[in-house]
This record gives sequence, structure tokens and C-alpha cells, in this order.
Amino acid sequence: MSGGSSLWVQRVFLLAAILAAWEACARLVSDRWISSPVAIAGRLAQWVAGDLWYHLAVTATEIASGLAIGIPAGVLAGMLLGRSVRLAAVFRPFIVLLNSLPIVALTPLLIMWFGLGMQPKIVLVAFVSFLLMFFNSFSGARAVDDELMDSLELMGATASERFFKVVVPSCLTWTIAGLRNALPYALIAAVIGEMMLSRSGLGHLITRSAQQFDMTGIYSALFVLMVFGGLVNEATTLMEDRLLRWRHLETRGG
Amino acid sequence: MPVLRLVHPEPAVGPTEARRRKIGLEKVAVDFATRGKTVRAVDGVTLEVPEKQFLALVGPSGCGKSTILNMVAGLLAPTEGTIEYDGAPVLAANTRVGYMTQKDTLLPWRTVADNIGIAFELRCRKASAGERRERVAEMIDLVGLGGFERHYPAELSGGMRKRAALARMLIYEPETLLLDEPFGALDAQLRLLLQQELLHLVERRQMTVILVTHDLEEAVLMADRVVVFTSRPGRIRATRDIPFERPRNAMELRFRPEFSAIHEELWNELKDEFAASIGGERGAK
Repeated sequence: MSGGSSLWVQRVFLLAAILAAWEACARLVSDRWISSPVAIAGRLAQWVAGDLWYHLAVTATEIASGLAIGIPAGVLAGMLLGRSVRLAAVFRPFIVLLNSLPIVALTPLLIMWFGLGMQPKIVLVAFVSFLLMFFNSFSGARAVDDELMDSLELMGATASERFFKVVVPSCLTWTIAGLRNALPYALIAAVIGEMMLSRSGLGHLITRSAQQFDMTGIYSALFVLMVFGGLVNEATTLMEDRLLRWRHLETRGG
Repeated sequence: MPVLRLVHPEPAVGPTEARRRKIGLEKVAVDFATRGKTVRAVDGVTLEVPEKQFLALVGPSGCGKSTILNMVAGLLAPTEGTIEYDGAPVLAANTRVGYMTQKDTLLPWRTVADNIGIAFELRCRKASAGERRERVAEMIDLVGLGGFERHYPAELSGGMRKRAALARMLIYEPETLLLDEPFGALDAQLRLLLQQELLHLVERRQMTVILVTHDLEEAVLMADRVVVFTSRPGRIRATRDIPFERPRNAMELRFRPEFSAIHEELWNELKDEFAASIGGERGAK
């Protein structure tokens, strides 16, 4: 416990040192390129009282809606193709090709199709998360222990019972691993979509500031993105711990 | 080489009366491809198991005993010959049998209780949650896993996992049991207890059983008939009816002189095969 608290003391010291050095540089040399912690804090306070929540809500909605489409579709498609040798063989080259495309390069096309609102970003997030979840679930479905499937078949389990009682839970570890990737990528996709062309969202905050040569604005937006990304990551870890208790016991060799 | 009064494969008859044929293997051979070479694992095995008979297969490891169970379960098709169950060829997974494989196939994401009760979650023998709990509690009692209901398989020892797998199979009382080294990982005392429990259950429910084991003593104590396999490729070397009465008391049986005589007789058959299998492995190196 004391080790933990001394660790935190050290971390706070390091942070304070970085901020102090930053502030000193800004005051003694120039704040033209690097802004300053005090200015950023002031800007953040101003945003919190102003339209930050609106932009945050836009980005969060895009991510949530995109994931709500992409994750279930990717998981389901991955599991089905993973269990069907035939379908997998047919789809394989198409999926490999699709996956070699940097998905964010689709942004201009999607903006032309869907306009400046949230839709193109939602589609982008859905696309990115679909592919990531698909590949993980596919590998997971491939890795299912055939002996477990056999043992349930001998008990008289139907194909769908085996799917839901063996394939789905067995894939869960892989699915969670996929989520760990999909969530940061969803954030990237949404922000890039917003930076390219839009009137709202955290990505828009960055481009708007940049166009006005407003360094403080850029740093403030980056700070918000960092905190937002960190929270998303933390939420995934919590969920992983809850869903995969048996797995942790196994790797610990309990 | 002392060859004693061994009976040949023909009399497929249990100790009490002539019975209907439950499982039949007809000139069965199995080839496996390993490293580009074809290896014959089982060769020319013809075997009949009458209904309600307890048959034990003994032999050195790698002699294809487990392969035979896989074929009876319908998980593996023979290269040559036919497998019949209840007079019909086995062509797909045989849901009439309960199969306990050497490697326990517990679902790692389910607790012990949820693993044991899984058969009653299936549409083919759906039971209410209350009934399921009750039967699971009974089985947990039977295999001595009280206190571990909420544990995951990864938290159990090898022997405990075996017991959980045994309970999961016994809970739905399949008419035929295929047991591959079911008591392998257990300590001696527990082994005796579970052997006796299994005997009770099999005798009470009149199950047909094929038990694969390395342990000749276990085979003689439990089975109506013992089949000795040769080392690879597995062929039937000898068959012996075990004349002890049912119900049996395994604890008491092992001290009878007849038991020792049969044990010795079969051991004389078996020991050459063990020697051959070790020699074969040395030769291969």
C-alpha cells in the first residue's frame, strides 16, 4: 500500500515538473508554438462553460452508433465464417483485399455520399470496428476446441446449441481482444472524419483551432481527446475483467 | 511364453445369459497419416459387446484402444470394416453413448456445477432449473466435489476435473458408457471409492460399458470380460470372461484367490505386449 502511494507521489512530481518546465519555456522563450499550461487550463474552463459538451456528445454519439453497428455485425460474421470452411474459402480474398485498404482513406467518398453530418463518421467507425471484430472473431471461431464440440454433440446438442454453448463463449476472449483494438480505432476514425470536413465534434475543434492559428485551442482539444480515449480504454479493461474471470484463473495457472 | 486357459473372441456372452448384441466391430482397421507415412493403428479387430455387458480393453499405450472408443462414439470412421450399434452402422456422432475421453472436455468458462448440469440445458432432455440443481447436487455428492460447485475447471486439480467430467457424463445416465482411463489421475483411495460407485451405478442402471485402462487390476475388478490388445498395430491378443457375480464388491473381490489367478493369467499375456511396445519405441529411435 505504501509502495502504491509513493508511486503516485512520484507520478505527481513528474507531472508537476513537466508542466513547470513547459510553463517556464512559454514565459521565458515564446508561447507562440507551444502555448502554455495556464493558457490551456483557462481555455478548457472556457470550453467547459461553453460548447465542449456539445462537441464531445457529437463524437461520442458517432463512436457509439458506429460501434453498435460494426461490433455485432463483425462478431457474427466472423463466427459464422470461422465455423464454415466453405464460406470462409469463398470470402477470404475479398476480405483480405478489403482489409489492405486504409479505411480512413474512404472518408472523402463517405462525406460525398452522406454529407457533413454524423452519418459518414458513423459509417466509418462501423466499418473499422466491423473489420477488427471480424478478424478476431474469425480466429476465435477457428480456435474452438473440437473435442469440446464433439463432447456436446454426443450429449445430443444440436448445431445451434453447440454454437451458442461452445463457439460463442469460446470466442469471447478473442472478441474482447478485438474490442481492445476496435475502441481506440473507432476514436481515430471518428476524429479523422471530423477533421476532414464537419461542423462539430472533437476533431472539428482541432481543425477549427488550427485554421485560426490558435495553438491553445489545439492543445486543449488534444487534451480532451486524450482524457476521452483514456476513459474508453479504462472501461474496456473493467469489462474484460468481469467477462473473462475464468480466463484469468487459467493463465494464472490457478 | 506361458499361454493359459484363454478363451477366444467368439463367446460374446455375459456371465449370466445370452444377450442381444449392442456394439459390434467387424474386421475393423484404422490407418493414420503421420509425417507423410501411413501408420496402421488398429488391425483386423472383430469384437462384440452384448447389451449390459461391462467390457474392459487393456493393452500398452498406443495400441489403439482409444481409437476404438472414438469409432464406437462415431467421431472417427474406420479405414476398413464396419461398426454397428444396436444393429445399425455408426455413421455419425452416436448420441446414445456417454463418452469420457482421456482429456477432460469440461467447458473452461463454466463452473463445476454448470458443467455438470449442461446435459439438462439441452433441448433433448430439458429440465427445470430447480430439477437441474437437485440432480447436480446429487452428482457432486457422488463424486465428492462438495464445496467446489462455484469453481472453474482451471482452479481444480487433474483428479478433480476427471471427477467433474465423470459426473457430467453420469448425470444423464446414457445407456452405454465409453470410458477412457476414467480414474487415471486419481489417488489410490479415491480411485477405489469411485470404482465402487461406478459399479453400483452401472449395475443399477444396467448400462453397457467399454472401459479402456492400463490398469489390469481395475479391468478384472470391474468388467465381465477383458480383452487384451497387442502393441501397435492393435489386434486382439486374448479375451477372458471374468466370472465374478453381480453386484460386485470391488473392495472384497481383490483379496480372493480366483482374482489373483485371473489377474496373473492376463498379466502373462499383457507383459509381452508391454515389452514389445517398449522395444518398438526403442527400435524407432
